[in-house]
Amino acid sequence: MVKNNFWSPYIAGIGLGLTLLATFYIAGWGLGASSAFSLLTGVGLKDVSPGYAGTLKYFSGYLNVESPLMNWVLFEVGGLFLGALAASLISGNFKFRFDKAAHMRTRTRFLTAFGGGILIGFASRLARGCTSGVALSGGAQLAVSGWIFVIAMFVSGFIIAAFFRRLWS
Amino acid sequence: MTAPFIFSQNISLLIAVIAGLFFGLFLERGGLGNPHKLTGVFYLTDFTVPKVMFTAILVAASGLYLLSDLRLLDMDRVWLVPTFFWPQIVGGALFGIGFVVSGYCPGTAVAGFASGRLDAVVTMTGIGAGSLLFAVLYPYSESFCISSAMEGATLPKLLRINHWFVIVFLIIFAGGMFYLMEKYEKRGS
Repeated sequence: MVKNNFWSPYIAGIGLGLTLLATFYIAGWGLGASSAFSLLTGVGLKDVSPGYAGTLKYFSGYLNVESPLMNWVLFEVGGLFLGALAASLISGNFKFRFDKAAHMRTRTRFLTAFGGGILIGFASRLARGCTSGVALSGGAQLAVSGWIFVIAMFVSGFIIAAFFRRLWS
Repeated sequence: MTAPFIFSQNISLLIAVIAGLFFGLFLERGGLGNPHKLTGVFYLTDFTVPKVMFTAILVAASGLYLLSDLRLLDMDRVWLVPTFFWPQIVGGALFGIGFVVSGYCPGTAVAGFASGRLDAVVTMTGIGAGSLLFAVLYPYSESFCISSAMEGATLPKLLRINHWFVIVFLIIFAGGMFYLMEKYEKRGS
């Protein structure tokens, strides 16, 4: 049985904010996530088809370095996985499952999970990052990027949720 | 010596893992590996996402500008998240759709997977596919992608006011929002 015994969102938010602050202070940049996916995709493509990967200008930034996998955000996302794994195991929230709205068919959920992921991957590249790299990190710097991203994301999210109520409720 | 600091690659990657460990811990403990909680704000059923997000942003913003004002942190050497106005408006809007449809964002999908959610792995695969799609289409989108750049743009610089006015305004705004969310959630339960 999953406990769902989460902390107060304000406590989690303070912890996350202090983590972000310490990262800025020590490393000189904020937290990220989406570029790890883009990097791994580029590296994977280079393994499968080096010739084609070489023609993609966008991936060259990742691939034309000495060791592409020695990447700060990739290691940070590795830590993210381990931190979340430890937290869910210790708190009794770890359980293998295919999570979805109660009424939704597994096949439909497969499509929403994958299709939504494609949109997220594409949008993150266009916006120079995601909720971590642009919204949280940029937001904390009071950067214009962070705040316009947050506003655009919430406005479109509310519109989509209003039209597709059965996705999650 | 003023922060930020310079490290060897090995130490830098060790710091990355440690930062990630805390990032993942607080995401999971805040409930942000759970797609029902992640999408709740868009259905007005669960306001965990804005509560965690705006608390984190305002704690970090207050700390950053305080450390900078005390000259303990050299903001000129901190990498500022760049602004490309229209690409980030369009990117943010597309991202919002992907967020509601999948129930995750990149970091929270990893946290969801770490708590045993296999649908999060499907979303992670989709994020990779979306990155590939972007790279393939980049020759056609590049001119839009690099348009409307705003070098070094921050809200205090743009508005020509002291950064503490912005921070205090945002704290008051978030406080009001949190108050309404708590009231709304109590009414519903």
